[in-house]
Amino acid sequence: MTDREMLIREAIAAEADEAVDAREVMAQLHRRRARRRTGSLLAVAALTAAAAAVAVVVPMTVSRDAAPPATSSTAVTPLAPQNVLLVGLDEYQHADSVALARVTPTGVAVVSLPRDTWVEVPGQGSDRLTLVYTNAHDSGGVAAGAQALTRTVEALTGVTVDHYAVVEMSAFAKLADAVGGVEVCLNAATKDLRTGADFPAGQQVVSGDRALDFVRQRYGLVQGDLDRVRRQQAFLSALGAKLLDRSFLDDTAKVTGLLGVVRSSVQTDDGWDLLAFARGLTAGTPIRATTIPVEPGEEPAGHVLRPDPAAVRQFVGTFFADQPAGPSSGTATAPGGGPVCVD
Amino acid sequence: MRDGFDEFVADRLDRLLRYATAMTCDKHLANDIVQDVLLRARERWARIAAMDAPYLYVKRMVTNEYLSWRRRRAARDVSASHAALDEVAPPVADHAVRHAERDAMRRRIAMLPRRQRAALVLRYYEDSTDAEIAAVLGCTESTVRSHISRALKTLRVNENTPVEVLR
Repeated sequence: MTDREMLIREAIAAEADEAVDAREVMAQLHRRRARRRTGSLLAVAALTAAAAAVAVVVPMTVSRDAAPPATSSTAVTPLAPQNVLLVGLDEYQHADSVALARVTPTGVAVVSLPRDTWVEVPGQGSDRLTLVYTNAHDSGGVAAGAQALTRTVEALTGVTVDHYAVVEMSAFAKLADAVGGVEVCLNAATKDLRTGADFPAGQQVVSGDRALDFVRQRYGLVQGDLDRVRRQQAFLSALGAKLLDRSFLDDTAKVTGLLGVVRSSVQTDDGWDLLAFARGLTAGTPIRATTIPVEPGEEPAGHVLRPDPAAVRQFVGTFFADQPAGPSSGTATAPGGGPVCVD
Repeated sequence: MRDGFDEFVADRLDRLLRYATAMTCDKHLANDIVQDVLLRARERWARIAAMDAPYLYVKRMVTNEYLSWRRRRAARDVSASHAALDEVAPPVADHAVRHAERDAMRRRIAMLPRRQRAALVLRYYEDSTDAEIAAVLGCTESTVRSHISRALKTLRVNENTPVEVLR
Protein backbone atom coordinates (compact mmCIF):
# COMPACT_ATOMS: atom_id res chain seq x y z
CA MET A 1 0.00 0.00 0.00
CA THR A 2 1.39 3.37 -1.00
CA ASP A 3 1.57 6.33 1.31
CA ARG A 4 -1.15 8.03 -0.69
CA GLU A 5 -3.42 5.05 -0.25
CA MET A 6 -2.74 5.15 3.50
CA LEU A 7 -3.71 8.80 3.49
CA ILE A 8 -6.88 8.02 1.55
CA ARG A 9 -7.76 5.33 4.08
CA GLU A 10 -7.24 7.71 6.97
CA ALA A 11 -9.23 10.46 5.26
CA ILE A 12 -12.19 8.18 4.55
CA ALA A 13 -12.09 6.78 8.09
CA ALA A 14 -12.11 10.34 9.45
CA GLU A 15 -15.14 11.13 7.31
CA ALA A 16 -16.88 7.97 8.54
CA ASP A 17 -16.19 8.98 12.14
CA GLU A 18 -18.50 11.94 11.61
CA ALA A 19 -21.46 9.55 11.44
CA VAL A 20 -24.46 10.20 13.66
CA ASP A 21 -24.58 8.05 16.83
CA ALA A 22 -26.28 4.74 16.03
CA ARG A 23 -28.26 4.72 19.31
CA GLU A 24 -29.84 8.03 18.39
CA VAL A 25 -30.73 6.73 14.94
CA MET A 26 -32.20 3.57 16.45
CA ALA A 27 -34.57 5.69 18.55
CA GLN A 28 -35.58 7.73 15.49
CA LEU A 29 -36.28 4.53 13.59
CA HIS A 30 -38.62 3.29 16.33
CA ARG A 31 -40.51 6.56 16.31
CA ARG A 32 -40.93 6.49 12.53
CA ARG A 33 -42.29 2.94 12.64
CA ALA A 34 -44.91 3.91 15.19
CA ARG A 35 -45.94 7.00 13.23
CA ARG A 36 -46.29 5.11 10.01
CA ARG A 37 -48.98 2.91 11.49
CA THR A 38 -51.25 5.76 12.54
CA GLY A 39 -50.83 7.85 9.44
CA SER A 40 -51.02 5.35 6.66
CA LEU A 41 -54.73 4.58 6.65
CA LEU A 42 -56.04 8.08 6.14
CA ALA A 43 -53.17 9.14 4.01
CA VAL A 44 -53.33 6.32 1.51
CA ALA A 45 -57.05 6.82 1.12
CA ALA A 46 -56.55 10.46 0.28
CA LEU A 47 -53.75 9.83 -2.15
CA THR A 48 -55.48 7.03 -3.94
CA ALA A 49 -58.65 9.00 -4.39
CA ALA A 50 -56.69 11.83 -5.92
CA ALA A 51 -54.61 9.55 -8.10
CA ALA A 52 -57.71 7.80 -9.29
CA ALA A 53 -59.32 11.11 -10.15
CA VAL A 54 -56.34 12.05 -12.27
CA ALA A 55 -56.12 8.64 -13.90
CA VAL A 56 -59.71 9.06 -14.98
CA VAL A 57 -59.52 12.75 -15.84
CA VAL A 58 -56.43 12.43 -18.01
CA PRO A 59 -57.83 10.07 -20.65
CA MET A 60 -61.06 12.03 -20.59
CA THR A 61 -59.52 15.35 -21.47
CA VAL A 62 -57.01 13.91 -23.88
CA SER A 63 -59.58 12.02 -25.89
CA ARG A 64 -61.63 15.11 -26.58
CA ASP A 65 -58.99 16.44 -28.96
CA ALA A 66 -57.27 13.22 -29.90
CA ALA A 67 -60.33 11.32 -31.05
CA PRO A 68 -60.99 11.50 -34.80
CA PRO A 69 -63.99 13.85 -35.21
CA ALA A 70 -65.56 11.67 -37.92
CA THR A 71 -66.12 8.79 -35.57
CA SER A 72 -66.70 10.54 -32.30
CA SER A 73 -70.30 11.56 -32.89
CA THR A 74 -71.49 8.39 -34.62
CA ALA A 75 -69.45 5.67 -32.97
CA VAL A 76 -70.05 6.61 -29.35
CA THR A 77 -71.66 3.76 -27.54
CA PRO A 78 -72.78 4.07 -23.95
CA LEU A 79 -69.97 3.05 -21.64
CA ALA A 80 -70.42 -0.43 -20.28
CA PRO A 81 -69.95 -0.32 -16.50
CA GLN A 82 -66.50 -1.67 -15.69
CA ASN A 83 -64.13 -2.21 -12.79
CA VAL A 84 -60.61 -0.82 -13.07
CA LEU A 85 -57.66 -1.55 -10.80
CA LEU A 86 -55.48 1.56 -10.34
CA VAL A 87 -51.90 1.09 -9.16
CA GLY A 88 -49.45 3.86 -8.23
CA LEU A 89 -45.79 2.79 -7.97
CA ASP A 90 -42.86 4.29 -6.11
CA GLU A 91 -39.37 4.15 -7.59
CA TYR A 92 -38.74 0.69 -6.13
CA GLN A 93 -41.72 -0.96 -7.76
CA HIS A 94 -43.71 -0.99 -4.55
CA ALA A 95 -47.41 -0.53 -5.17
CA ASP A 96 -47.73 2.57 -2.97
CA SER A 97 -51.36 3.17 -3.76
CA VAL A 98 -53.91 0.61 -4.88
CA ALA A 99 -57.52 1.42 -5.68
CA LEU A 100 -60.44 -0.29 -7.32
CA ALA A 101 -62.69 1.97 -9.40
CA ARG A 102 -66.18 1.21 -10.64
CA VAL A 103 -66.73 3.34 -13.74
CA THR A 104 -70.23 3.85 -15.16
CA PRO A 105 -71.61 6.53 -17.50
CA THR A 106 -73.05 8.39 -14.53
CA GLY A 107 -70.24 8.24 -12.02
CA VAL A 108 -66.97 6.84 -10.75
CA ALA A 109 -66.70 5.11 -7.37
CA VAL A 110 -63.20 4.55 -6.03
CA VAL A 111 -62.29 2.22 -3.16
CA SER A 112 -58.79 2.55 -1.73
CA LEU A 113 -56.97 -0.53 -0.49
CA PRO A 114 -54.23 0.55 1.97
CA ARG A 115 -50.76 -0.61 0.98
CA ASP A 116 -50.21 -2.40 4.30
CA THR A 117 -53.40 -4.45 4.10
CA TRP A 118 -52.58 -8.05 5.07
CA VAL A 119 -54.06 -10.09 2.22
CA GLU A 120 -54.37 -13.69 1.09
CA VAL A 121 -52.49 -14.11 -2.18
CA PRO A 122 -54.27 -16.93 -4.04
CA GLY A 123 -52.04 -20.00 -3.90
CA GLN A 124 -49.22 -18.22 -2.03
CA GLY A 125 -50.17 -17.48 1.55
CA SER A 126 -50.36 -14.01 3.09
CA ASP A 127 -48.46 -10.80 2.41
CA ARG A 128 -48.73 -7.04 2.43
CA LEU A 129 -50.81 -5.81 -0.48
CA THR A 130 -48.00 -3.53 -1.69
CA LEU A 131 -45.60 -6.48 -1.98
CA VAL A 132 -47.99 -8.65 -3.98
CA TYR A 133 -47.20 -6.44 -6.94
CA THR A 134 -43.50 -6.10 -6.15
CA ASN A 135 -42.83 -9.81 -5.76
CA ALA A 136 -44.66 -10.78 -8.95
CA HIS A 137 -43.02 -7.87 -10.79
CA ASP A 138 -39.57 -9.11 -9.77
CA SER A 139 -40.09 -12.31 -11.70
CA GLY A 140 -42.41 -11.29 -14.53
CA GLY A 141 -42.59 -7.51 -15.06
CA VAL A 142 -45.53 -5.11 -14.99
CA ALA A 143 -48.09 -7.52 -16.44
CA ALA A 144 -47.22 -10.25 -13.92
CA GLY A 145 -47.36 -7.73 -11.07
CA ALA A 146 -50.71 -6.36 -12.18
CA GLN A 147 -52.15 -9.85 -12.66
CA ALA A 148 -51.06 -11.03 -9.22
CA LEU A 149 -52.56 -7.89 -7.70
CA THR A 150 -55.74 -8.38 -9.73
CA ARG A 151 -56.25 -11.93 -8.44
CA THR A 152 -55.57 -10.83 -4.87
CA VAL A 153 -57.94 -7.84 -5.03
CA GLU A 154 -60.65 -9.96 -6.66
CA ALA A 155 -60.35 -12.53 -3.88
CA LEU A 156 -60.50 -9.83 -1.21
CA THR A 157 -63.37 -7.74 -2.57
CA GLY A 158 -65.40 -10.28 -4.53
CA VAL A 159 -65.37 -7.83 -7.46
CA THR A 160 -64.17 -8.91 -10.91
CA VAL A 161 -61.45 -6.61 -12.28
CA ASP A 162 -61.96 -5.80 -15.98
CA HIS A 163 -58.89 -3.64 -16.59
CA TYR A 164 -55.84 -2.22 -14.85
CA ALA A 165 -53.74 0.92 -15.10
CA VAL A 166 -50.25 1.19 -13.56
CA VAL A 167 -48.55 4.58 -13.21
CA GLU A 168 -45.12 5.47 -11.81
CA MET A 169 -44.58 8.29 -9.38
CA SER A 170 -41.91 9.78 -11.64
CA ALA A 171 -44.65 10.53 -14.18
CA PHE A 172 -45.70 13.44 -11.95
CA ALA A 173 -42.74 15.50 -13.11
CA LYS A 174 -43.60 14.93 -16.75
CA LEU A 175 -47.31 15.52 -16.25
CA ALA A 176 -46.57 18.82 -14.50
CA ASP A 177 -44.37 19.86 -17.41
CA ALA A 178 -46.97 18.84 -19.96
CA VAL A 179 -49.59 21.14 -18.44
CA GLY A 180 -47.15 24.03 -18.06
CA GLY A 181 -46.72 23.78 -14.29
CA VAL A 182 -49.03 23.03 -11.40
CA GLU A 183 -50.09 25.64 -8.85
CA VAL A 184 -49.60 24.60 -5.21
CA CYS A 185 -49.54 26.42 -1.89
CA LEU A 186 -47.52 25.87 1.29
CA ASN A 187 -48.41 27.05 4.78
CA ALA A 188 -44.75 27.56 5.60
CA ALA A 189 -41.38 27.44 3.86
CA THR A 190 -39.72 23.99 3.93
CA LYS A 191 -36.26 22.64 3.27
CA ASP A 192 -35.36 19.07 2.37
CA LEU A 193 -31.79 18.34 3.51
CA ARG A 194 -31.73 15.32 1.32
CA THR A 195 -32.52 16.84 -2.06
CA GLY A 196 -31.57 20.41 -1.26
CA ALA A 197 -35.04 21.43 -2.46
CA ASP A 198 -36.30 24.58 -0.76
CA PHE A 199 -39.88 25.73 -1.12
CA PRO A 200 -41.08 29.16 0.02
CA ALA A 201 -44.37 29.69 1.84
CA GLY A 202 -47.43 30.64 -0.18
CA GLN A 203 -48.67 30.00 -3.70
CA GLN A 204 -46.21 28.81 -6.32
CA VAL A 205 -46.05 26.93 -9.59
CA VAL A 206 -44.02 23.70 -9.71
CA SER A 207 -43.01 21.60 -12.70
CA GLY A 208 -40.43 19.00 -13.72
CA ASP A 209 -37.89 18.01 -11.06
CA ARG A 210 -39.30 20.54 -8.63
CA ALA A 211 -42.71 18.94 -8.93
CA LEU A 212 -41.15 15.59 -8.13
CA ASP A 213 -39.28 17.08 -5.15
CA PHE A 214 -42.55 18.60 -4.00
CA VAL A 215 -44.47 15.32 -3.97
CA ARG A 216 -41.57 13.27 -2.60
CA GLN A 217 -40.42 15.49 0.24
CA ARG A 218 -40.74 13.70 3.53
CA TYR A 219 -37.80 15.11 5.47
CA GLY A 220 -38.13 18.41 7.22
CA LEU A 221 -41.93 18.05 7.36
CA VAL A 222 -43.66 17.98 10.73
CA GLN A 223 -45.60 14.80 10.09
CA GLY A 224 -43.27 13.12 7.60
CA ASP A 225 -45.08 10.55 5.51
CA LEU A 226 -48.50 11.92 6.33
CA ASP A 227 -47.60 15.43 5.17
CA ARG A 228 -46.09 13.97 2.06
CA VAL A 229 -49.31 12.27 1.15
CA ARG A 230 -51.23 15.51 1.72
CA ARG A 231 -48.86 17.17 -0.67
CA GLN A 232 -49.43 14.49 -3.26
CA GLN A 233 -53.15 14.93 -2.88
CA ALA A 234 -52.89 18.71 -3.23
CA PHE A 235 -50.63 18.34 -6.25
CA LEU A 236 -52.89 15.82 -7.97
CA SER A 237 -56.01 17.86 -7.28
CA ALA A 238 -54.37 20.95 -8.73
CA LEU A 239 -53.17 18.93 -11.70
CA GLY A 240 -56.69 17.66 -12.29
CA ALA A 241 -58.06 21.21 -12.12
CA LYS A 242 -55.47 22.36 -14.64
CA LEU A 243 -56.36 19.56 -17.03
CA LEU A 244 -60.01 20.55 -17.00
CA ASP A 245 -59.23 24.21 -17.53
CA ARG A 246 -60.44 25.64 -20.84
CA SER A 247 -57.15 27.40 -21.54
CA PHE A 248 -55.34 24.08 -21.37
CA LEU A 249 -57.89 22.10 -23.37
CA ASP A 250 -57.82 24.67 -26.18
CA ASP A 251 -54.04 24.47 -26.51
CA THR A 252 -53.54 21.68 -29.04
CA ALA A 253 -49.76 21.52 -28.63
CA LYS A 254 -50.02 21.03 -24.87
CA VAL A 255 -52.76 18.44 -25.17
CA THR A 256 -50.68 16.50 -27.70
CA GLY A 257 -47.69 16.65 -25.35
CA LEU A 258 -49.79 15.35 -22.50
CA LEU A 259 -51.06 12.49 -24.60
CA GLY A 260 -47.44 11.41 -25.18
CA VAL A 261 -46.68 11.51 -21.46
CA VAL A 262 -49.75 9.46 -20.62
CA ARG A 263 -48.88 6.87 -23.26
CA SER A 264 -45.33 6.50 -22.01
CA SER A 265 -45.97 6.49 -18.27
CA VAL A 266 -49.30 4.77 -17.77
CA GLN A 267 -49.36 1.05 -18.53
CA THR A 268 -52.63 -0.76 -19.03
CA ASP A 269 -53.69 -4.26 -19.99
CA ASP A 270 -53.53 -4.95 -23.73
CA GLY A 271 -57.24 -5.57 -24.07
CA TRP A 272 -58.29 -2.14 -22.85
CA ASP A 273 -59.41 0.35 -25.51
CA LEU A 274 -58.56 3.54 -23.63
CA LEU A 275 -59.93 5.88 -26.28
CA ALA A 276 -63.28 4.16 -26.33
CA PHE A 277 -63.25 4.19 -22.56
CA ALA A 278 -62.47 7.89 -22.48
CA ARG A 279 -65.08 8.76 -25.12
CA GLY A 280 -67.73 7.09 -23.02
CA LEU A 281 -67.07 9.50 -20.16
CA THR A 282 -67.88 13.16 -19.94
CA ALA A 283 -66.11 15.97 -18.12
CA GLY A 284 -67.51 16.56 -14.65
CA THR A 285 -68.39 12.93 -14.06
CA PRO A 286 -68.84 12.75 -10.28
CA ILE A 287 -66.15 10.82 -8.40
CA ARG A 288 -66.76 9.29 -4.96
CA ALA A 289 -64.02 7.75 -2.87
CA THR A 290 -63.70 5.65 0.25
CA THR A 291 -61.39 3.12 1.93
CA ILE A 292 -62.07 -0.50 2.87
CA PRO A 293 -62.55 -1.18 6.60
CA VAL A 294 -59.39 -2.55 8.26
CA GLU A 295 -57.99 -2.96 11.76
CA PRO A 296 -54.39 -2.43 12.88
CA GLY A 297 -52.61 -5.74 13.47
CA GLU A 298 -49.22 -7.27 14.10
CA GLU A 299 -47.39 -9.84 11.98
CA PRO A 300 -43.79 -11.07 11.95
CA ALA A 301 -43.37 -8.67 9.02
CA GLY A 302 -44.32 -5.72 11.27
CA HIS A 303 -47.41 -3.54 11.56
CA VAL A 304 -50.15 -4.42 9.11
CA LEU A 305 -53.82 -3.63 8.53
CA ARG A 306 -56.23 -6.54 8.80
CA PRO A 307 -59.35 -6.70 6.67
CA ASP A 308 -62.42 -8.71 7.63
CA PRO A 309 -63.07 -10.45 4.28
CA ALA A 310 -66.86 -10.75 4.68
CA ALA A 311 -67.18 -7.13 5.80
CA VAL A 312 -64.96 -5.90 2.95
CA ARG A 313 -67.04 -7.71 0.35
CA GLN A 314 -70.24 -6.28 1.64
CA PHE A 315 -68.74 -2.80 1.98
CA VAL A 316 -67.41 -2.72 -1.58
CA GLY A 317 -70.57 -4.24 -3.04
CA THR A 318 -72.77 -1.64 -1.37
CA PHE A 319 -70.52 1.26 -2.29
CA PHE A 320 -70.38 0.23 -5.95
CA ALA A 321 -74.12 -0.40 -6.17
CA ASP A 322 -74.96 3.01 -4.77
CA GLN A 323 -74.46 5.46 -7.63
CA PRO A 324 -76.06 8.83 -6.93
CA ALA A 325 -76.05 11.67 -9.44
CA GLY A 326 -74.56 14.97 -8.32
CA PRO A 327 -71.44 17.07 -8.34
CA SER A 328 -68.01 15.62 -7.61
CA SER A 329 -67.12 15.52 -3.95
CA GLY A 330 -63.40 16.02 -4.56
CA THR A 331 -62.76 19.74 -4.83
CA ALA A 332 -59.51 20.86 -6.35
CA THR A 333 -59.52 24.46 -5.22
CA ALA A 334 -60.16 26.41 -2.05
CA PRO A 335 -63.34 28.50 -1.80
CA GLY A 336 -61.32 31.61 -2.63
CA GLY A 337 -60.26 30.11 -5.98
CA GLY A 338 -56.56 29.44 -5.25
CA PRO A 339 -54.98 26.06 -4.42
CA VAL A 340 -55.49 24.55 -0.97
CA CYS A 341 -52.44 25.26 1.22
CA VAL A 342 -50.62 22.28 2.78
CA ASP A 343 -47.61 21.79 5.07
CA MET B 1 -38.70 -12.98 11.40
CA ARG B 2 -39.06 -9.63 13.05
CA ASP B 3 -36.36 -10.50 15.56
CA GLY B 4 -34.05 -11.24 12.64
CA PHE B 5 -34.51 -7.71 11.35
CA ASP B 6 -33.98 -6.11 14.77
CA GLU B 7 -30.85 -8.16 15.18
CA PHE B 8 -29.59 -7.07 11.79
CA VAL B 9 -30.15 -3.43 12.70
CA ALA B 10 -28.45 -3.83 16.08
CA ASP B 11 -25.42 -5.48 14.45
CA ARG B 12 -25.11 -3.34 11.34
CA LEU B 13 -26.58 0.07 11.94
CA ASP B 14 -23.37 1.69 13.11
CA ARG B 15 -21.41 0.24 10.20
CA LEU B 16 -24.05 1.31 7.68
CA LEU B 17 -24.13 4.85 9.06
CA ARG B 18 -20.36 5.11 8.86
CA TYR B 19 -20.29 3.74 5.35
CA ALA B 20 -23.06 6.10 4.22
CA THR B 21 -21.38 9.06 5.92
CA ALA B 22 -18.06 8.33 4.23
CA MET B 23 -19.81 7.99 0.88
CA THR B 24 -22.03 11.07 1.13
CA CYS B 25 -19.67 13.29 3.16
CA ASP B 26 -22.82 14.49 4.92
CA LYS B 27 -23.87 12.80 8.17
CA HIS B 28 -27.44 14.12 8.05
CA LEU B 29 -28.00 12.91 4.53
CA ALA B 30 -26.42 9.57 5.51
CA ASN B 31 -28.79 9.26 8.46
CA ASP B 32 -31.84 9.99 6.29
CA ILE B 33 -30.79 7.50 3.64
CA VAL B 34 -29.98 4.69 6.07
CA GLN B 35 -33.24 5.10 7.99
CA ASP B 36 -35.29 5.19 4.85
CA VAL B 37 -33.61 2.12 3.41
CA LEU B 38 -33.97 0.16 6.65
CA LEU B 39 -37.69 0.88 6.87
CA ARG B 40 -38.10 -0.39 3.32
CA ALA B 41 -35.87 -3.40 3.98
CA ARG B 42 -38.00 -4.31 6.97
CA GLU B 43 -41.07 -4.72 4.79
CA ARG B 44 -39.27 -7.21 2.61
CA TRP B 45 -37.17 -8.72 5.34
CA ALA B 46 -38.21 -12.34 4.79
CA ARG B 47 -36.86 -12.13 1.23
CA ILE B 48 -33.72 -10.22 2.11
CA ALA B 49 -32.86 -12.50 5.04
CA ALA B 50 -33.08 -15.51 2.73
CA MET B 51 -30.33 -14.09 0.50
CA ASP B 52 -26.69 -15.15 0.65
CA ALA B 53 -25.52 -11.73 1.76
CA PRO B 54 -28.24 -9.55 3.30
CA TYR B 55 -25.75 -6.91 4.43
CA LEU B 56 -24.39 -6.55 0.90
CA TYR B 57 -27.92 -6.18 -0.42
CA VAL B 58 -28.82 -3.49 2.10
CA LYS B 59 -25.54 -1.72 1.38
CA ARG B 60 -26.49 -1.77 -2.27
CA MET B 61 -29.87 -0.21 -1.43
CA VAL B 62 -28.12 2.54 0.55
CA THR B 63 -25.67 3.18 -2.28
CA ASN B 64 -28.36 3.30 -4.94
CA GLU B 65 -30.43 5.64 -2.85
CA TYR B 66 -27.54 8.08 -2.74
CA LEU B 67 -26.42 7.69 -6.34
CA SER B 68 -29.92 8.24 -7.63
CA TRP B 69 -30.18 11.74 -6.17
CA ARG B 70 -29.46 14.51 -8.55
CA ARG B 71 -25.81 15.28 -8.99
CA ARG B 72 -25.89 19.02 -9.15
CA ARG B 73 -27.42 19.46 -5.73
CA ALA B 74 -25.28 16.89 -3.98
CA ALA B 75 -22.11 18.45 -5.37
CA ARG B 76 -23.15 21.88 -4.16
CA ASP B 77 -24.05 20.60 -0.70
CA VAL B 78 -20.76 18.78 -0.29
CA SER B 79 -18.60 21.72 -1.28
CA ALA B 80 -20.64 23.98 0.99
CA SER B 81 -20.19 21.78 4.03
CA HIS B 82 -16.49 21.43 3.33
CA ALA B 83 -16.02 25.15 2.99
CA ALA B 84 -16.85 25.25 6.68
CA LEU B 85 -14.28 22.53 7.29
CA ASP B 86 -11.60 24.68 5.65
CA GLU B 87 -12.11 27.34 8.24
CA VAL B 88 -12.17 25.19 11.33
CA ALA B 89 -9.15 23.11 10.32
CA PRO B 90 -6.34 25.34 9.05
CA PRO B 91 -2.97 23.62 8.56
CA VAL B 92 -0.78 24.32 11.64
CA ALA B 93 2.40 23.16 13.37
CA ASP B 94 4.76 20.28 12.57
CA HIS B 95 3.11 17.44 14.47
CA ALA B 96 -0.19 18.39 12.89
CA VAL B 97 1.08 18.09 9.33
CA ARG B 98 -0.28 14.60 8.86
CA HIS B 99 -3.61 15.80 10.21
CA ALA B 100 -3.65 18.68 7.78
CA GLU B 101 -2.77 16.39 4.90
CA ARG B 102 -5.54 14.05 5.87
CA ASP B 103 -8.12 16.81 6.04
CA ALA B 104 -6.97 18.17 2.69
CA MET B 105 -7.40 14.68 1.27
CA ARG B 106 -10.86 14.49 2.80
CA ARG B 107 -11.87 17.64 0.98
CA ARG B 108 -10.47 16.37 -2.30
CA ILE B 109 -12.31 13.08 -1.91
CA ALA B 110 -15.51 14.98 -1.17
CA MET B 111 -15.25 16.66 -4.56
CA LEU B 112 -14.92 13.45 -6.57
CA PRO B 113 -17.85 12.33 -8.70
CA ARG B 114 -20.22 10.29 -6.56
CA ARG B 115 -19.73 6.93 -8.24
CA GLN B 116 -15.95 7.24 -8.02
CA ARG B 117 -16.19 8.17 -4.37
CA ALA B 118 -18.52 5.25 -3.63
CA ALA B 119 -16.05 2.87 -5.29
CA LEU B 120 -13.18 4.38 -3.30
CA VAL B 121 -15.04 4.07 0.02
CA LEU B 122 -15.96 0.48 -0.74
CA ARG B 123 -12.34 -0.41 -1.45
CA TYR B 124 -10.53 1.60 1.23
CA TYR B 125 -13.11 1.62 4.00
CA GLU B 126 -15.18 -1.52 3.51
CA ASP B 127 -12.20 -3.46 2.11
CA SER B 128 -14.45 -4.88 -0.59
CA THR B 129 -13.11 -6.86 -3.54
CA ASP B 130 -13.69 -5.58 -7.07
CA ALA B 131 -16.42 -8.20 -7.49
CA GLU B 132 -18.21 -7.01 -4.34
CA ILE B 133 -17.90 -3.38 -5.39
CA ALA B 134 -19.30 -4.29 -8.81
CA ALA B 135 -22.24 -5.99 -7.11
CA VAL B 136 -22.97 -2.97 -4.92
CA LEU B 137 -22.63 -0.41 -7.72
CA GLY B 138 -24.39 -2.62 -10.25
CA CYS B 139 -21.61 -2.43 -12.84
CA THR B 140 -18.80 -4.62 -14.19
CA GLU B 141 -15.48 -5.17 -12.42
CA SER B 142 -13.64 -3.35 -15.16
CA THR B 143 -15.86 -0.33 -14.59
CA VAL B 144 -15.00 -0.53 -10.90
CA ARG B 145 -11.29 -0.50 -11.70
CA SER B 146 -11.80 2.43 -14.03
CA HIS B 147 -13.72 4.40 -11.36
CA ILE B 148 -10.95 3.82 -8.85
CA SER B 149 -8.07 4.56 -11.16
CA ARG B 150 -9.71 7.77 -12.32
CA ALA B 151 -10.38 8.77 -8.72
CA LEU B 152 -6.76 8.08 -7.72
CA LYS B 153 -5.52 10.04 -10.71
CA THR B 154 -7.68 13.03 -9.83
CA LEU B 155 -6.49 12.91 -6.23
CA ARG B 156 -2.86 12.73 -7.38
CA VAL B 157 -3.15 15.57 -9.89
CA ASN B 158 -4.92 17.79 -7.37
CA GLU B 159 -2.49 17.07 -4.58
CA ASN B 160 -0.70 20.39 -4.82
CA THR B 161 -3.64 22.48 -5.86
CA PRO B 162 -5.39 24.45 -3.12
CA VAL B 163 -8.95 23.32 -2.59
CA GLU B 164 -10.20 26.87 -3.13
CA VAL B 165 -9.00 26.75 -6.74
CA LEU B 166 -10.63 23.40 -7.42
CA ARG B 167 -14.00 24.51 -6.20
